[in-house]
Amino acid sequence: MSARRIFVANRGEIAVRVIEACQRLGIETILGVSAADKETLAARRATRTVTLGGARSGESYLNQPTIVHAALSTACAAVHPGYGFLSERADFARLCAENGLIFIGATPEQLETLGDKLSARAFAQSVDVPVSPGGPTQTLDEAKALATEIGYPLLVKAAFGGGGRGMKLVERADDLNEAWSVASSEAASSFGDGTVFLERFVRAAKHIEVQILGDRHGGCLQLGERECSLQFRYQKILEEAPSSSLNPDDRAKLHSYALRIANGLKYQGLGTVEFLYDVDKRDIWFLEVNPRVQVEHPVTEAVTGVDLVREQVLVAFGEPLRLSQSDIRLEGHAVELRLTAQNPADGLRPSPGRVTKWRPSPIGGVRWDTHMYEGYLFPPYYDALMAKIIAFGLDRKAALSRASQAVDSLEVEGPITNATLLRQLLAHQAVIENSVTTLWLEEQFARRTFP
Amino acid sequence: MTALNIDLEELAAIIRLIKEAEFSEFRYAKGDVSLLVRRGELPADGGGGEATTAAALAPHPTPKVVPAAASQPSAPSPRGRGSESALQGSSSSVTAPLLGSFYGAPKPGDPPFVSVGDRVEADTVVCIIEVMKLMNSVVAGVAGVIAAVHVSDGELVEYGQSLFTIQPVQPA
Repeated sequence: MSARRIFVANRGEIAVRVIEACQRLGIETILGVSAADKETLAARRATRTVTLGGARSGESYLNQPTIVHAALSTACAAVHPGYGFLSERADFARLCAENGLIFIGATPEQLETLGDKLSARAFAQSVDVPVSPGGPTQTLDEAKALATEIGYPLLVKAAFGGGGRGMKLVERADDLNEAWSVASSEAASSFGDGTVFLERFVRAAKHIEVQILGDRHGGCLQLGERECSLQFRYQKILEEAPSSSLNPDDRAKLHSYALRIANGLKYQGLGTVEFLYDVDKRDIWFLEVNPRVQVEHPVTEAVTGVDLVREQVLVAFGEPLRLSQSDIRLEGHAVELRLTAQNPADGLRPSPGRVTKWRPSPIGGVRWDTHMYEGYLFPPYYDALMAKIIAFGLDRKAALSRASQAVDSLEVEGPITNATLLRQLLAHQAVIENSVTTLWLEEQFARRTFP
Repeated sequence: MTALNIDLEELAAIIRLIKEAEFSEFRYAKGDVSLLVRRGELPADGGGGEATTAAALAPHPTPKVVPAAASQPSAPSPRGRGSESALQGSSSSVTAPLLGSFYGAPKPGDPPFVSVGDRVEADTVVCIIEVMKLMNSVVAGVAGVIAAVHVSDGELVEYGQSLFTIQPVQPA
């Protein structure tokens, strides 16, 4: 086929990752950047860089017409949205399609189904994947009845509209009245719909997710699971593959749930099916599907040997999957640490600035996905991720040990990083034993165990 | 009141004088008449010194021969006599406020909004940038003379890219 060209509509390490995968496929890349990102590593690596607009994401990375115009004017066949920004936007996927551009991601219909919590849950239920006890409520009486059914504690939040906005934890029945009324009026004013979602709250849950990949011809695969329980306010800090929390039965169950969702949707592209796992009760509940490449995809690549971004690009161009389920064999263990420009001594406050020193040590079995270089001005406008340190070992212990070695030997100056926190975490018994649950780190911060 | 009692030959002689000397600004006052000739810094697109002098004069189609009204004598003083004040009009760039396709004329076949040598005001539309069929007018942003056009019709221009060079002048 003739030379293809892909427009990369993202920044940071994932832009570098996509460009690198395209280079190996012999595909040219046009990188769209904001005015603040003209000197990035991705800008140096791309075949060509065009400046989309100002530093604010709305003028650049979220500016749909501008991105499509730039992609068409530079004769690109496809747009890679990376993660975040426009990667899950059904309207953008549709705009690309209307203009003859391939959107490297799920279909607009799939993005719509998965983008809304209620429809995503309904879909999971329709293919017999368990969802956490809960549901939408229109009135306080409905809420009271449902709350009695699912039990306390529970979470109360707006049914429409994303993120953790207006989410409230209700410990006792006495508190439901007020929490529900506030959530409902907030939901009505913010999203124009006062429907409130009630959901059982699991205090000691692990976050486990399954990587899926589908082509346009109905082919679907699962590439094993990742565990990402170590989080700070829903921001993942350490991810690993496989999960050491699952027994073989639960693992098989989890994988089959993910495949049911992928097959049910005839899912196209890379995706991640997220679950909550209650270790004590051995309950598995569907959480959501992230229809895009995931930040932590390299741990899956490390244990499966599959270049996920390469496969994602190929299936987007209509190629059938080259792998079958039996080709997916896991080997060893991989851990990813997210090095960020955040100060652990100051509540993980972002600390952008000039990177005056950047010297990661070459260590066997460690991969660095990063856009850092010495002299880079880390801008204050976007997320704080500096690098993903992915350590591979024959077992979990070996992987953790290499991860420690990598963090210890990193020399970085300029922005204040979370490296001290990463070191403390890797040395902590709860991390070594993998007894951490999703709220663990926040509790530790509250108790001032860290930093 | 006689507006001009300086003849064209005298004016030409004066300009020749300035051209040869390294002056960038020349003021002359005699009785009712004061004369200001300024040499700007326009890039000499067309070639040599002659073009430069002509371009510098172009902003003032009426020779800067002004009857010395009451206000006039005071004008030179705040500006001083130093040559740096005369160079105040360093060229300025009109940059693309957004990424899109550049169009120099309202529609194909029409004469362009502006060409080199045209006088523009800050609010003069100089081009259109099209993003997904949406036309966005771009204004000069500064009063002056178009000294250069850097892009051609239909070209993709990026955010912040230089589109025109304008030699600023005092508002008419």
